[in-house]
Amino acid sequence: MAEPIYTVASDSETTGEEKTTSTFPEIAVGIDIGTSQCSIAVWNGSQVELLKNTRNQKIMRSYVTFKDETPSGGVSNELSHEYDMLSGAAIFNMKRLIGRVDTDPVVRASKSLPFLVQTLDIGVRPFVAALVNNVWRSTTPEEVLAIFIVELKVMAEYQLKRPIRNVVLTIPVSFSRFQLTRVERACAMAGLQVRLMPEPTAVALLYAQQQQQAVHEGMGSGSEKIALIFNMGAGYCDVAVSAVGGGVSQIRALAGSPIGGEDLLQNTMKYLLPNSESIFSHRGIDEIRRMGLLRVVTQDAIHKLSYQSSVQIDVNLGNGSKLRKVLSREEFEMVNSKVFEKCENLIKQCLHDARVGTEDLSDVVVVGGCSYIPKIRNLLMEISKKKALHEGIDPLEAAVSGAALEGAIASGIGDPFGSLDLLSIQVTPLAIGIRADGNSFIPIIPKNTTMPARKELVFTTVQDNQSEALIVVYEGEETRAEENHLLGYFKIIGIPPAPKGIPEITICMDIDSSNMLRVLAWATLPGGQHPATPYMEVKMPTVDDGHGWCAEALHGKYGATMELVTLRKKG
Amino acid sequence: MKLRSSLFAVLRSNSALSSATNFPNVPNSALSTQISSNSQLPSTAECSRPWRSTACEFLDNLRFPSRVFCSRSAEASDLKPGCWNCGAVAPTSVVFLVCDSCRSIQPVDQSVDYFQIFGLEKEYEIGDVNLESKYKDWQKKLHPDLVHSKSDKEREYAAEQSARVIDAYRTLSKPLSRAIYILKLEGVDVDEEDTISEPELLNEIMEIREAVEEASGSQELNQIQSQMQEKLIHWSNTFAKALRNRNFNDAVLSVQRMTYYERVKEEITKKL
Repeated sequence: MAEPIYTVASDSETTGEEKTTSTFPEIAVGIDIGTSQCSIAVWNGSQVELLKNTRNQKIMRSYVTFKDETPSGGVSNELSHEYDMLSGAAIFNMKRLIGRVDTDPVVRASKSLPFLVQTLDIGVRPFVAALVNNVWRSTTPEEVLAIFIVELKVMAEYQLKRPIRNVVLTIPVSFSRFQLTRVERACAMAGLQVRLMPEPTAVALLYAQQQQQAVHEGMGSGSEKIALIFNMGAGYCDVAVSAVGGGVSQIRALAGSPIGGEDLLQNTMKYLLPNSESIFSHRGIDEIRRMGLLRVVTQDAIHKLSYQSSVQIDVNLGNGSKLRKVLSREEFEMVNSKVFEKCENLIKQCLHDARVGTEDLSDVVVVGGCSYIPKIRNLLMEISKKKALHEGIDPLEAAVSGAALEGAIASGIGDPFGSLDLLSIQVTPLAIGIRADGNSFIPIIPKNTTMPARKELVFTTVQDNQSEALIVVYEGEETRAEENHLLGYFKIIGIPPAPKGIPEITICMDIDSSNMLRVLAWATLPGGQHPATPYMEVKMPTVDDGHGWCAEALHGKYGATMELVTLRKKG
Repeated sequence: MKLRSSLFAVLRSNSALSSATNFPNVPNSALSTQISSNSQLPSTAECSRPWRSTACEFLDNLRFPSRVFCSRSAEASDLKPGCWNCGAVAPTSVVFLVCDSCRSIQPVDQSVDYFQIFGLEKEYEIGDVNLESKYKDWQKKLHPDLVHSKSDKEREYAAEQSARVIDAYRTLSKPLSRAIYILKLEGVDVDEEDTISEPELLNEIMEIREAVEEASGSQELNQIQSQMQEKLIHWSNTFAKALRNRNFNDAVLSVQRMTYYERVKEEITKKL
């Protein structure tokens, strides 16, 4: 393979605006950038194929090393040893950091990684740096993601002998729209137009294809099937319920959380070496090396515990500290009981939101790196009251394959054999609404609404003759506004003078077929025909990196002077 | 406890903006907002559509994505008898959402009702028709994801048609929303406020509310849940009968009852 040339554009490059609408059918490409592993798949005209790197790997490590002058990632680079990744020079787990501020617990948990994640705890982007020749060299999660994507792109272009401009990239369910803009920026830096697809919905599409294929081959009944999809990797746990039939996957409900193998690993590390945090707090070269050692050993032990009931750990951490212990599967499950409990809650919530009982479930599909863990498999069988989980979907290749399928469907590629007679109908993974009624989050587009969607609610003023109102848009599931993801804010001005509770402020939200969110707002008096002032139309999200500050600052500055409450219309 | 059903608003309103005249301002709590968004009733999305006819024009000027839902070309006056793309004549036997000859997606025709989209008679009792598979068949022809490479115009048609099929499916698949919709087609307005004035129902509401609040465990809640289900079936049958006899007064009363029992079910589900 030729020496790849990295063309990562500047971080400030705008995204999304210049969407090329080329009419010639493109090659359909799906990319899955996981917290720890990444892969790329193409639709070859009759099926999905995962591309391999020069070392014949389909599943590659998601990391970038800054050892030499040019950074290199896990696609092209070869590590002489696993420990190399843990020398401080390699940056990984970026999917857990992208688009998060330094007050986020997920960011704080990342501080034990063997490179520098510095937080100031004020709601700004964390500082991330790699150790290069005893210097902490700064980078950003977007830059690291862009490097993986460029490497995958160069590899695919070299093998397919054609340029790649459009890809479908899978994302966790719990990503906020702000995080999506960061992923889009990373793709733009890598020179790609991207369509984002929640991971379990990609898996559901692959399932729909397999069901359809079975029907064509006269094997399946072709009837409607309800599938529960559980996807847990290193960084995220996602659940989907999909009603599949006739090649169509209609997502009924989604649920997701940033919990994953990384949490299992960290909990187990803490259990094995309880004072590890204080040992590693100084971040000297030696500490990083020891932290890396413990990480590798623990990871290896967890992998073994999927197949055996106990594992012997024996490692010399240097400085005379040795770790010798037998770790049993029971201990591992006990140490991580909170993580498994969270998984259980996600599954139950998703089934509940989808209004699906266990008796309605045809199949339970378990994918992702954590799908090999016996506790996870048992949990799913217990909740679904099934004796066996669905087989025939590769746990590590499912998401990327589904993404390539989605790319093929959307690209308008010719399909002479009807093998792309498929469709994935998506729902909103999180509710979108505004802050009103004091500090409450009032959803306007509820969670699990089929897209494209458009909904509105009417609000009113809290002060007499209130002429302005602050519209603060959030995304999430929490009842308190500030516990959700802030997407943006704007002021609606020129509310006609009237006693409080009289003016009608309509907030309308629209998600179009390309998943663009727009918020439209206008104010009228009851009986008024047209608003006195122009309508406000705001594309969301509008927030930038320092957004942790914003909501607090707005509240501090305006207090209750520009608030709204919901207004219910009679009848 | 009242229900904010935007469909009701739609039934009365000529336009969303002027409709406000009829509605006194009652502050809403966060809770009831949530209930309304989870309710069995059709969503606000479909409700915003009828006002498009009036609201469209200024929204068009605004370039708001409402064009997705209310492109001017979709107005009835612009409808041509055949396919806009290839000119093929629209078949009379089936609804014309997609051209059979060139597969082009057609503009929304508001005169086609939800029952027609699903090839059903305009009847409340739809039996065990497989709505879901028909819904999916339509989406495979209409979904915006499938026409990325087509013209802007056709992509707009796809977004509109697809959204309408979603609404149609959601409305018809649940008895309560189907009942309200069929009354709407008959030109009958449902006013749930009258419900509360009926002493018999008032009493019952109080009793059920107490029972739900005092229920000590999931077993009791499940019991109330199945009682509600029985009542729903009963009133659903009453509605069907009233509709057959074109006794709209009784039909509206049944809908009000069903609305209430559905809401209790929602609340119990949340508690469970």
